[in-house]
Amino acid sequence: MDAIIQLIHVSKCYDRRPALSDVTMEIEKGEFVLLMGPSGAGKSTLLRMLIGEEQPDEGQIFVHGRNVTKLKPSEVPYLRRKIGTVFQDFRLLSKKSVFDNVALPLVVQGVSERDIRRKVTEALRAVGVDHKKDQPPNSLSAGEQQRVCIARAIVNGPVVLLADEPTGNLDPERTGEIIELFKLINARGTTVIVATHDPQVVKQVHRRAVTLVDGVLTQERRSAERVEA
Amino acid sequence: MRRFLYIVREAWANMRTNRTTTIVAILTTAFTLACVGIFLLLYVNLRHAAGWLQEDVKIMVYLDDGVSSSLRQALEQQLKVDRMVSEVVFISKEQALKEFRAQFPADSHLLEGLGENPLPASFVVTLAPNYRSPESMQGWADRVQTMEGVAKVDYNQEWINVLTELIGYIELVAIGVGMLLSAASVTIIGNTIRLALFTRREEIEILRSIGATRTFIRIPYFIEGAVLGAFGSALSLGILRIGFELFRQQMQLTGRFSGIESMLSFFPLSLCLALIMAGMGLGLAGSVVSLLRVGEGRT
Repeated sequence: MDAIIQLIHVSKCYDRRPALSDVTMEIEKGEFVLLMGPSGAGKSTLLRMLIGEEQPDEGQIFVHGRNVTKLKPSEVPYLRRKIGTVFQDFRLLSKKSVFDNVALPLVVQGVSERDIRRKVTEALRAVGVDHKKDQPPNSLSAGEQQRVCIARAIVNGPVVLLADEPTGNLDPERTGEIIELFKLINARGTTVIVATHDPQVVKQVHRRAVTLVDGVLTQERRSAERVEA
Repeated sequence: MRRFLYIVREAWANMRTNRTTTIVAILTTAFTLACVGIFLLLYVNLRHAAGWLQEDVKIMVYLDDGVSSSLRQALEQQLKVDRMVSEVVFISKEQALKEFRAQFPADSHLLEGLGENPLPASFVVTLAPNYRSPESMQGWADRVQTMEGVAKVDYNQEWINVLTELIGYIELVAIGVGMLLSAASVTIIGNTIRLALFTRREEIEILRSIGATRTFIRIPYFIEGAVLGAFGSALSLGILRIGFELFRQQMQLTGRFSGIESMLSFFPLSLCLALIMAGMGLGLAGSVVSLLRVGEGRT
């Protein structure tokens, strides 16, 4: 299989404190990977590097065949259009409707009005909040807001979906639903990487899991393995 | 289409969100530009007056008292064929006296005691439009001064010189004040844009994360700056127009400078449009400065 993401000896320090130390890993196309570890382990730093928001001090990062460390600033937006991102705090625009929030990635790309309607409707249907498309995000529950955030991340058919603590603000029931949604998206061929320290997610996802502790890759569980309850 | 509407809507939303700051920015820009406008208005009117004086300037060629009729005719002929001259009018001694009495009836008794008419005969010469510059006039006057039968050549060159010099100074002051206050306008608008950037930093963060280019993120702020500048400039023209009309009315009422008020003119429409465009440019510069200094993120 092809590697869609490659990290080769990646290191990053903040104020001489290592956030990532010599991380080398490959993620194949269509994989579902859990990026585990306690807070401050370097999970978010790694995700930020994948979308070109941070540059490593050392090492190389390849995403979908492009060397992210060599990208010019003007090329970074085009990389991000291939990657969907889901945040713990949803990051939805409160003054825009659910529909307009989900349409945003398509609007910035200059997609036609007709295609925007079709794709946004499909994405909202896929996450189960199409009936709330005209409402402002603030009127939705946390679980629904996270679904809207996921719809926004998948609306332009990204090759990779990155989720940074996507269940951090959700109750166990909603957490389960969101994880099922990620599995569904992954089943359609999108590579999914979920950074989490939520044990419920780890229990529910029997896929490949990599653990970071103090910026060091310490443990790797292959997808065939099962997690003990 | 949606992209274009989004950008315009965002610019409008920026201005609405920070309504008070937007209004204050427009008002401050308007008053700042109005100060520049006062100098510009003064400059334009003085230029106008100088042009008018230059157009109207008449050169008096006074003749010697004893000049013969044939010499006078020869002189007149010489002046008429001169390519620099467009009009020559002869004023005889008698005519000069008549005109003096008509113009200064209260002082006409002053000449009575002198017995003989002391006023000289003269030619009133108007130069052709191409030769009305101070240098041309001076050259022409120097040449005619040497002609036989000519006592003196006189014209209001001093006035024109003073006015030209004054215009030069006002031009300098206008440029200086203009540059200083334009920089102030750029700073005011720049600060407004900076506040808008700060207010919407989360939205900018979201836009960046979903792959919006720098240009896409920046355009609404450029539009906002340009609109603030244009509105500020248009309002400054309104303030100036009101001030100008009040000043003209006041002059009419006092009657001290009767006639002058009709010579005063406001900026022509083309200049008004140019000033609005200039305001727009200043606003845009404010946005650029702000976005360069603060930025909306590294990438």
